[in-house]
Amino acid sequence: MSKQKNITAIIDGKPVQVRKGSTVLDAAQKAGIYIPTLCYLENLKSYGGCRLCVVDIKGIKGFPTACTTPLEAGMEIQTKTPALQRLRGEILELTLSEHPYTCLVCGDKKDCADFMHTTRKASTITGCNFCTSNGDCELQDLIETLELKDVRFPISYRGIPPERNNPFYDLDYNLCILCGRCVRICNEERNSNVLAFIQRGNNTIVGTAFNESQIDADCEFCGACVDVCPTGSISEKMGKWAGLPDRSTETTCTLCSVGCTMNINTRGNRIVNVGPKPGERTNPHQLCIRGKFLSPDIIHHPSRVTAPLIRRNGKWVEVNWDEAIQYTAGKLEAYRGNRFGMICSAQDTLEENYSLQKFSRKVMHSNNVDLYSSYPDKDLVMKIHPFLSSSFHGRTMDINKADTILILGADASVSHPLVENKIRKAFAMGRNILYANPFPTRTSKFANHEINYTAGEEYNFLYTLLAGIAAQFKEAGVVKAAKLCGLTEDDLKPFVEVLAKSRNLRIVVGDDMLRNGTGLDVLRALGNLSYLMGQKGKCNIMFTGYEGNLYAGALAGAHPDILPGFDTVSDAKAIRKWNHKWDAKLSNTSGFSCDEMLATIGKDGISALMIAGDIPMDPKLKKLKFLVQLNMFRTGLSDYADVLLPVTGFPENEGHFLTLDGTIKKLRRALPGPGKSKTIPAIISILAGAMNESGFSSSRTGVIWKEIESSIMLPAHKAINEMQKIQSIKPKSRKGTRDYPIRSNIPYDHFRYRGNSLTALVTDMQTLWKG
Amino acid sequence: MAGSIVSIIGKYTPRDKSNLIAILQNVQKKKGYITPEAVDSIANHLSISRSQIFGVASFYSQFKFYPPGRNSIKICLGTACHVQGGDFLLNALKSEIGISPNETTADGRFDLERVACLGCCALAPVVMVNDAIFSNMSVVKLKEILNQYE
Ligand code: SF4
Ligand code: SF4
Ligand code: SF4
Ligand code: FES
Ligand code: FES
Repeated sequence: MSKQKNITAIIDGKPVQVRKGSTVLDAAQKAGIYIPTLCYLENLKSYGGCRLCVVDIKGIKGFPTACTTPLEAGMEIQTKTPALQRLRGEILELTLSEHPYTCLVCGDKKDCADFMHTTRKASTITGCNFCTSNGDCELQDLIETLELKDVRFPISYRGIPPERNNPFYDLDYNLCILCGRCVRICNEERNSNVLAFIQRGNNTIVGTAFNESQIDADCEFCGACVDVCPTGSISEKMGKWAGLPDRSTETTCTLCSVGCTMNINTRGNRIVNVGPKPGERTNPHQLCIRGKFLSPDIIHHPSRVTAPLIRRNGKWVEVNWDEAIQYTAGKLEAYRGNRFGMICSAQDTLEENYSLQKFSRKVMHSNNVDLYSSYPDKDLVMKIHPFLSSSFHGRTMDINKADTILILGADASVSHPLVENKIRKAFAMGRNILYANPFPTRTSKFANHEINYTAGEEYNFLYTLLAGIAAQFKEAGVVKAAKLCGLTEDDLKPFVEVLAKSRNLRIVVGDDMLRNGTGLDVLRALGNLSYLMGQKGKCNIMFTGYEGNLYAGALAGAHPDILPGFDTVSDAKAIRKWNHKWDAKLSNTSGFSCDEMLATIGKDGISALMIAGDIPMDPKLKKLKFLVQLNMFRTGLSDYADVLLPVTGFPENEGHFLTLDGTIKKLRRALPGPGKSKTIPAIISILAGAMNESGFSSSRTGVIWKEIESSIMLPAHKAINEMQKIQSIKPKSRKGTRDYPIRSNIPYDHFRYRGNSLTALVTDMQTLWKG
Repeated sequence: MAGSIVSIIGKYTPRDKSNLIAILQNVQKKKGYITPEAVDSIANHLSISRSQIFGVASFYSQFKFYPPGRNSIKICLGTACHVQGGDFLLNALKSEIGISPNETTADGRFDLERVACLGCCALAPVVMVNDAIFSNMSVVKLKEILNQYE
């Protein structure tokens, strides 16, 4: 590789030094010199389509485009000569001749904008005043910069019917200026390949095969195209007419454990959209359907609970917080001890789960605290812990740096869309993608080799794979194991060959690997695999758990046996430490897991439950003496609840979220919760107070965070553990192993927030699943 | 039906995009046009999306996406024919057989395509039906000619 060198050129008389390989546009931007652009988008290949970025370079004939011209040492570049400005104006005029430009060049546009807002609610967009992008449009900005007063060409209106049959966003290609940003982001960045330029010449337009709907064209509804479109061609349905945002808050999405950074744009107390900052369309954070479209949908959902509810004579009655808390506290008094249970959600922040489990352990004297989506095998998380400490070094966004990606039992396209996005990108970059799953999924299309093993035989599959790597395929035990998972040596060969050559391996492990009754064995096999591969080069494992981050939940203490920071309740020293910290008398008996809590209701087990979120209805819950639900919505479960306390959702919260790659990310409050809703830590704080317990004194998240930070080792501070040693493993018949209920196994279930089904809540989701 | 498409596509290396045009040409030869099912099969075979295939195919005028009619009408809208009233002919045609360019009549009798110059500008406006060229066309003549085709 040639050494990176800096080169110097002169732009507008100013010497500018940039890295070799930069374009003229890069150099100008670095020097703070503005060159108008329209098709250019940071991080996408230069396209050279709009020609607005033309510049004058000494010694070069004509006007080259800055975004596609590589900078050479000593170039003398002018960016603002009168000739250039005139040329740009003419180019913009031509571009606008295919765009309803009347309002853009109207002499009254200022007054119109100030006084005639309501005209926007029209069905056909014939000018800015009817367009959703009005005020946040790059064409409007360019007209100002280039001081264009008139367009000399008549408007050639395409007359294409606007498409409103898609969920989440509308299309009106009559506004399209063919900048190609949407096509390029969908193909190059998302690798979804839904959009293409179709037809030719004058009729060229953005579209899909045979003009089918985006649903039929396998659109993921990631919204990337909506975010980058400089015009109003593509616009969100939600918040369409909410006006322009007046605030933009950068926060973290907690809908899956990727934990994407997102900008929530609000106007007053309403989310206008989620995406790039207004006025900064370039290089938006990539999101998925959940972050981009579902988060505003649930926050402004019409059926949100906004005041505390108490059940009286079988009917819900709205009460004030005082009454709700007094009532709940009084009832809970009677169930201190092992008859109380707490069910939390892995989609909550560290602070939320920390407060909930602290309440259960300290106030209720009960270690029955668990995540609803916890692994059926209680010990699993504890065993994953040492694992992650040696694997947290690979970042999610670096997946495509590995030479080989091995995906085991994961359907990331639904569970972790951005992980799959990186896999697709890696495939496009020529990395080796090995995919092993019981059935083909969307990821299959982006895999070099695929193996479909028999579902439930995850462990035997790993066993045969390891044997293959060790060239022991012919051994009797191995042949038997292979047969159990429905594979032959030939099926495994391509995997083994690719793995043998890999020096930088990323393993993506799906939850199905661990939720099959042999989870602990699978984990041991994974340990061996990573040990073997780690001896030749790098090997990182990523666990992609359902519904948020199970590991983070346990780290905060939402686990029957695990205190915050992976201390255990059976460890007397740890109990002493936390007794001291919390001024508490903690129980050292192992608690019930979520399954066990639900199973022992009505027997001499659980009598009172507090559930943060939702769980599917189970007639057994009827036998509870007392049920408190902390939720945003009234759900099926609420039919059995005695108290329903309204809580805020993640865009309304502050706090910290641990992502699957071990990064701690901040949540910032983008808007207040509706009505009387409160954050979970605030509710817990007043409830504990009402039960005469201290240590929950502050409802402010910052104080809780300080408490967490000062008492537990967070992943970032953790020392790297020794690589695990190889452990002996043997093939196993599944007979005799305990079969666990697989609670969340259908794709719909990935679309949950705190147990609430997003499909049931959002009608656009139902349209999507039907399609 | 589907079998013949599969046998055409099967001859090409999977995932090798460079064969796309050749495959499309062969499909069109066999089927007369590019069917949605064919696009599906090609997408699976080459691991590219349907939109991408359609984008490429619709860029070339040689590919059709509608089943050819028993008779193909080509109406010239090149410069000379345009000046001589090609547009009037097109509108007359549209109302006569009830279809727009790139469509086929429901009874399969005609399909319609617009072309830019058939190379006999001196005789403009020109219409071509199957292999026959009709020159110095008028709306009245057009109707008479169409009656000759079943
Ligand atoms: S929403 Fe995403 S997948 Fe769908 S067309 Fe837009 S960029 Fe492509
Ligand atoms: S729809 Fe928007 S982003 Fe796509 S080409 Fe048209 S103007 Fe550009
Ligand atoms: S990938 Fe996960 S974190 Fe990112 S937007 Fe989607 S649900 Fe949110
Ligand atoms: S920005 Fe350079 S051509 Fe569009
Ligand atoms: S323009 Fe019609 S034949 Fe040349």
